[in-house]
Amino acid sequence: MSTKYAQELSYGFTRQVAPPVRETRIGVCSAYCGECSKLVEDIQSGCAQLQSRKFAQSGGCQLMLAVGIVSSLTNVVIVVHSPLGCCSGFVGTGGVRKTTRATRGKRSEEFVWLHTNMDEQDVVHGGVDKLREAVLYAEREYHPDAIIIANGCVPGIIGDDIDSLATELGGRLSAKLVPVHCEGFKSKYVASGYDSAYHGVLRHLVEPTVKERSAIPDVSEQRDFADRYRISKTVNIFNVGSNSNGDEIELSRILSSLGLIPRVLPLNATLDDLAHIGEAALNVSICATHDDYLLGHLRERFGTPYIIDTLPIGIRSTNRWVRQIAAHFGLQKDAERVIALENEALGAALEPFRKALAGKKVYVGGGETRILTTAAFFKDDLGMELVGVKAHNVDRFVEEIAEELHSPELEITVAAGQPAEEVAVVRRLKPDLYCGHAGANGWISRLGVPNLPLFGMLLNYMGYAGAYELARKAAKAIKNTNFVKNVSANVGLPLSKAWLERDTRLNIKETEQII
Amino acid sequence: MGTFIERPKFSCALGGALTTLTGLNRVVPIVHAAGGCANSLSVTYNGAAGYRGVGYCGGSMLPTTNIAENNVVFGGEDRLEEQIENTLFAIDGDLYVVVTGCQVEIIGDDARSIARRFADRNVIAACTPGFIGNTLKGYDAVMTSIVENVIEPSRAKNPKEVNIFGVVPGHDVFYRGNLDEIARLLGLIGARANTFFGTGNSVAQIREYGKAALSVVLAPKTGARPAQRLQELNGAPYILSELPIGPSGTAAFLRQIGSALGIDGKLVESAIASENAYYYDFFGRVVDMYADLDWQRYAITSADSYCAHALTKFVANDLGWIPHLTSINDIESEAEQIEYAKRFDDITSECKPTVVFEQNAGQIIKHVRASWELNRNGKYYDALAPAYVIGSSIDAGLAEKLGASLLTAAFPVSNRVVMNKGYAGFRGGLTLAEDLLSQIVSNR
Repeated sequence: MSTKYAQELSYGFTRQVAPPVRETRIGVCSAYCGECSKLVEDIQSGCAQLQSRKFAQSGGCQLMLAVGIVSSLTNVVIVVHSPLGCCSGFVGTGGVRKTTRATRGKRSEEFVWLHTNMDEQDVVHGGVDKLREAVLYAEREYHPDAIIIANGCVPGIIGDDIDSLATELGGRLSAKLVPVHCEGFKSKYVASGYDSAYHGVLRHLVEPTVKERSAIPDVSEQRDFADRYRISKTVNIFNVGSNSNGDEIELSRILSSLGLIPRVLPLNATLDDLAHIGEAALNVSICATHDDYLLGHLRERFGTPYIIDTLPIGIRSTNRWVRQIAAHFGLQKDAERVIALENEALGAALEPFRKALAGKKVYVGGGETRILTTAAFFKDDLGMELVGVKAHNVDRFVEEIAEELHSPELEITVAAGQPAEEVAVVRRLKPDLYCGHAGANGWISRLGVPNLPLFGMLLNYMGYAGAYELARKAAKAIKNTNFVKNVSANVGLPLSKAWLERDTRLNIKETEQII
Repeated sequence: MGTFIERPKFSCALGGALTTLTGLNRVVPIVHAAGGCANSLSVTYNGAAGYRGVGYCGGSMLPTTNIAENNVVFGGEDRLEEQIENTLFAIDGDLYVVVTGCQVEIIGDDARSIARRFADRNVIAACTPGFIGNTLKGYDAVMTSIVENVIEPSRAKNPKEVNIFGVVPGHDVFYRGNLDEIARLLGLIGARANTFFGTGNSVAQIREYGKAALSVVLAPKTGARPAQRLQELNGAPYILSELPIGPSGTAAFLRQIGSALGIDGKLVESAIASENAYYYDFFGRVVDMYADLDWQRYAITSADSYCAHALTKFVANDLGWIPHLTSINDIESEAEQIEYAKRFDDITSECKPTVVFEQNAGQIIKHVRASWELNRNGKYYDALAPAYVIGSSIDAGLAEKLGASLLTAAFPVSNRVVMNKGYAGFRGGLTLAEDLLSQIVSNR
């Protein structure tokens, strides 16, 4: 049901305090410049995983990704155990969190985080005492459902034992205490942070509730029967930080049209939602990079089968996503009817955008599953010319998606961030439109190439409605390109002429071990 | 020893170093740390300093050694050397500054020695691991390195030239507007201000800052260290002052600097008089509505020591609001608290503010409640209303609980875009009055 690779993986890590990093669990390529088909070969042989860079730029940190997941939960307090810089971005995101919750009709809450503010003395003596004070303060002042400890590099290197603290305080708090091990230096594959977050969630927050038995005859039996029926049709859709409420509504709508009961989690969920996470007939991923760790463990724990396949962006990927889910429930015929209906309406609606975009050159950069599905939509459904893609990292989850692109000679760069390389590549390829991850679009604007963001927490990208919105946004971006013209003429790039003219492949080096 | 902090309004020393370097024209940081530090900290300031941007070579463009677990075990000095060499090839810059993160300092990498090998190619270094303290410590570390390695010692001094320290780009969300206004004001009294981060500044100019006869430190918690170092190396003494906001603050500022530079008092007074006339020429516009609609508010100010007093003074002495409570989040030592509280002696309103030192954002509401009689369901109640919170985006919850208006006038500011706006000086005072009063009429 899932990609071949997803079926090969095994789990069972939740007895460990911390999850393995993805470098060892999955294997990942984070530096590559070459052809798409060669990359797939090199990943299978293991060569691609042994490359790194001579000139490197700052990418993400697994701490940020881990905290991005758990800080979305309802009524939680985050304790960042680290010096002050880690998660300092929270100072600017309280309002964003409010908006993402409000768009989903969730209760408005003030986001509260604490910081252990580790200093030089703590580096020598350890910071667990401060952490204890912070946890007790959180409990006393805010009575949250959970207190989540995010562990930074410093406590990781000096060996603060946050799990013993959790054990020590466990019985004394009404909040659940959740240690999350997400020290940035431990993994260059920032998506390891998702595993770190879900490891904490799985160990401490997924506790099924015990059903009370009714004293009245048959009541419990009737309820159980109703529950079993509901569960037999329930599909958990696992959301990600980069999707919008519009995406969730659209994917839910499609599954509802098959007579299934969609339920979206774990982001923005309450602890009660997580307690019932096992009550589903099927778990469905929308992005393998995010949640194979969670889905794998949930299968082992609750026996819930899962689908980890494609990301439902664009027509073909959405069709494939729907077909796989429908097949699990034996609803193939219904799925074909839904798909035919949706594709016909969407195909007609896309016509004006095809006219505007066909033949235009496009370049897509960002997370691996997202870029390949988005690129396929631009190429196959809108008739654009795909001139290159850049993936943050590449692992074996995307082998099949890459093959489905049918572009073995497509130029692919693997780089988390690294805008210096990307700018040089895009400058050479001269696309008419660029679609990229946050942090990249500004540099591409300075280069003078019209662009649009690859994702947006308030914009719809997924499903059939998302395909329409994506085409609409792409067409809108080239309706007035004066912003990038003005910026490129007046705001400079710091890159040297020598760098821009050199072959970017020369920046890649072979290493002897996976780093 | 520091304690934990609820919702700190700071990042770490590395964050401070990066936001400082981002404010310098054509200066390129090289971050020796784990791969995520640089970009994450850059995002903090891009997202919470009025969208100040990533500067010349910030954000995801920041060169970094991207060290990982094997470097933590075996050391990362070779990797740093490789990264410096390649940065010099890839990035055009006038100055390259190696700054360090926690991981490499704990394992004992000697970044300064490595940087010294590239000294002839404009590479310098500063130790800035997060665990040495907050944003302000990073500013001090980087600026001290610039004082030591970039500013050329000069025996010849220009008696009317001053170096401005203590304004941290990004942490002062309005630093560009503020510094340009300070330079303009000092120009009015015949002095020249070297601001490091102001419009048009370059590394070449900073090299010449050794000619300044005086340094002025505008913050109580940062800037003194590099100013002190400059005095040791180059002889220019420094004085402590404050960010001037509005007529009364700026008049005091100009008199202080004028006197320190030995400038003719008449020149200073005439500059103050003409600027004051300019201020009231515009302020006069709102007099009728201010009076008819009663725009006087109870002010609750929540900011760090850089601007908490200056903002309070403006609303109390210039705008005529009631300075009810001022909360300062970054002074821990009791002696320093007593010293800072003395600043409020110059508040001229009949009602004086309660001054509290509170680093936990969630506790401010308790101080406000403790400062005012509770409503005990009496028929008549003298409420703390109409109230206005002058603070940061973190204080949005406080304002909501108090039913007060909010202006984000101190870091972090995530609810508005700031370009050349500043609150310093007479003109900045007008801008601040504009922003404060606009909130009151924003729903009309």
